[in-house]
Amino acid sequence: MDFAYIERVLPLYERAAALTVQLGMEGILLSIVIGLVCALILYEKIPVLRRIVMIYIEVSRNTPLLVQLFFIYYGLPKIGIVLTPEVCGVAGLAFLGGSYMAEAFRSGLDSVEDIQRESAYSLGMNRMQTIHYVVLPQAVSTSIPALLANIIFLLKETSVFSAISLMDLMFTAKDLIGLYYKTTESLALLVIFYLMILLPVSIVGAVVERRVRYAGFGT
Amino acid sequence: MTKLKRWIVLGVAFVLIMGLAGCGKSAETGKSADNGEISGKEGKTIYRTLDEIKKDGTINIGVFSDKNPFGYVDENGDYQGYDVYFADRLAEDLGVKVNYVSTEAANRIEYLQTGKVDIILANFTVTDERKEEVDFALPYMNVALGVVSRNDNVVKSLDNWNKDDTIIIISGTTAETYLTENYPDIPLQKFDSYATAKEAFENGTGVAWANDNTEVIAFSLQNDGYTVGIPSLGSNDTIAPAVTKGNTTLLDWINEDIKKLGEEQFFHKDYDETLTETYGDEYKETLVVEGGKSAE
Repeated sequence: MDFAYIERVLPLYERAAALTVQLGMEGILLSIVIGLVCALILYEKIPVLRRIVMIYIEVSRNTPLLVQLFFIYYGLPKIGIVLTPEVCGVAGLAFLGGSYMAEAFRSGLDSVEDIQRESAYSLGMNRMQTIHYVVLPQAVSTSIPALLANIIFLLKETSVFSAISLMDLMFTAKDLIGLYYKTTESLALLVIFYLMILLPVSIVGAVVERRVRYAGFGT
Repeated sequence: MTKLKRWIVLGVAFVLIMGLAGCGKSAETGKSADNGEISGKEGKTIYRTLDEIKKDGTINIGVFSDKNPFGYVDENGDYQGYDVYFADRLAEDLGVKVNYVSTEAANRIEYLQTGKVDIILANFTVTDERKEEVDFALPYMNVALGVVSRNDNVVKSLDNWNKDDTIIIISGTTAETYLTENYPDIPLQKFDSYATAKEAFENGTGVAWANDNTEVIAFSLQNDGYTVGIPSLGSNDTIAPAVTKGNTTLLDWINEDIKKLGEEQFFHKDYDETLTETYGDEYKETLVVEGGKSAE
């Protein structure tokens, strides 16, 4: 174990970790928004849009992120759309994550009993109010474990960003191995940095999960 | 910060211990399996000796699958190119079948060190740093670095670099090492394969692409609108087959074979078959190394 080497490359790993976290977070936030919108469209059975969302979910969930990134980064310039690797990475992550988040929210929305909605309507609430005050709070609470699993999944998926020349943790490690041939040190640092990013997410997630488990009455 | 560092060091130690424990276990099972095909050296580098390869009947050779015209897969799915032509001959002379393993530039050393391949024949430039990690056989090609750019903005020098301009390089190549050491201020955009680097360059990424000069010359000849503004950069190097460090039986055999092939001018024939179409005859004498005797 060459500690001088570790000391020397540590800043590179820190920069890579920052990139992984930043792009990961942006992608995740976008995918949550996309997912929520898609899930509500499905839940409210809005015509036409519902079909589009269903097609999107199938396409997104049944193609690997790597293929989506290749399409966005290497394919779109052929029709004149040139994006920076960073934007492509976030867009790819949001495209992939959106469908997973939609499915997570959908399961939450489905878990809210019909009687709840009917009760809300009978109290004179309109559709928006029902969604806002009755359905969503319970649905989100039920969805939390699935959402957290998706967040961790998406953070790990950032490791394919190397394909579009983003210096994320994975590519930094691979690149340093190619430059200095210190395989053991480079890979050990890679594992440690991923753990440093993902372990806190898991731990905080477990706490949040317990705190928000308030839904489920009326069943 | 120091606290963070302490955690990292602790983590490294932890992972290392786990890793060592794992290694010990696998070494043990390897012994008890008694398959005789894998020879270990201090449990670190794994390779197959010449006899073991012969007995097995198949040799694993790591080549590029996306570096036309040196190592690539043609439209029929067959491996082709200058390196592959040589690899085919090596296998033929050894009397075994060849199994091609597609490699990326940054993987080449690891593939040897982990025994995934017996030989790397992937346009592997001989450098002192790499010699520490693998054993190179006699060279079969000359190479230097080159820089290709678009006709409307030809890069002729790397001095006084505009910091907003990036150069495309492929991770794990000598171009990367050279630019990192000699031009640390030039922003590099790194790709992990030839295919993606070329695609991105054609899509307008970066102002230039630095790589082996053979490669960038081929690129400018095969694609309109590009000029090799810097045809020779850095030192003149050679390209040679590489084997896992310590695999002397295989190394000696390859060296003998390269010398023998020199008598029949094999690499000139290799050039005629695989490279003339791209380069014409212009580069033949500068590029080809016959019988392992480099001009310098």
